[in-house]
Amino acid sequence: MRSGDSLNRRLRISGILVIIGLLVEALCLVWSRPIAFVVLVCLGGALIGLGVLLFLYSLVSGPAHPANASGVAQDKH
Amino acid sequence: MPTIAIVILILFSAALAGVVVARPAITASSAGKILAFGVLFFLPLFSLVAGMDNEMERSKSTAFCLSCHIMDSYGKSLDIDDPSYLAAAHFQNHRVPADEACYTCHTNYAMFGTFKAKLGGLRHLYVYYLKKMPLPQDIKLHEPFNNRECLHCHLGARSFEQGATHNADPATLPAIKANTLSCVSSGCHDVVHNVGHWGDKVKFWDGGS
Repeated sequence: MRSGDSLNRRLRISGILVIIGLLVEALCLVWSRPIAFVVLVCLGGALIGLGVLLFLYSLVSGPAHPANASGVAQDKH
Repeated sequence: MPTIAIVILILFSAALAGVVVARPAITASSAGKILAFGVLFFLPLFSLVAGMDNEMERSKSTAFCLSCHIMDSYGKSLDIDDPSYLAAAHFQNHRVPADEACYTCHTNYAMFGTFKAKLGGLRHLYVYYLKKMPLPQDIKLHEPFNNRECLHCHLGARSFEQGATHNADPATLPAIKANTLSCVSSGCHDVVHNVGHWGDKVKFWDGGS
């Protein structure tokens, strides 16, 4: 149950980072100034990258599938 | 991809990501997992790449280069009503695309040329925002102008290959092609922008309107 909460929390944070990154990117695209490109890459890119990495991390660190978990248990016996 | 399409895609992606943020429990189902993968991995990365590509294309535009105030004089030099001004003659006669005039001459026509040109642009931003800005007439090229950028268009052109001045001395044309005799700084086409040296007599073309 706790690992499920942890997974949900990671997904939430990942989603928030991605949303903020996407909004920064959208603002940069409508903001026609040379600095917009730098903000898009450095800030937008970093936020989206962090969000995506956190999502990937939440996939590999999530709770084990019940079938796998029982398989591990059987192996132990 | 047009800017408006990318912005719509970004807002759509953000809205879908909002669904996952609001109800992360939906990822327990297979459909929810697919949705999460789409909105937290595929769509953000696709949007980022599309946005960067769009910005790169926009950064080639004349309007983009002239959006910094320090470039005002250089933009104005494109409208000088005097064919001896190299930049003005190229711009007004569409020897370069008018909407990518700066980029066409100031990019680097070698491998990764656009990337190098954009790195140079980052240096401009650094100076513009973080250092003391020079006067427009004090702005210098990062390195001497390479004939390669001129020859990208002029090489093989009859006016260039058979031009009287270029062939007056048999050594001239090979020297230009070997970049040992500069097109713009050897006394031949040395009036380019000449910002700060216009004087009172210079006139400006009204764009034909």
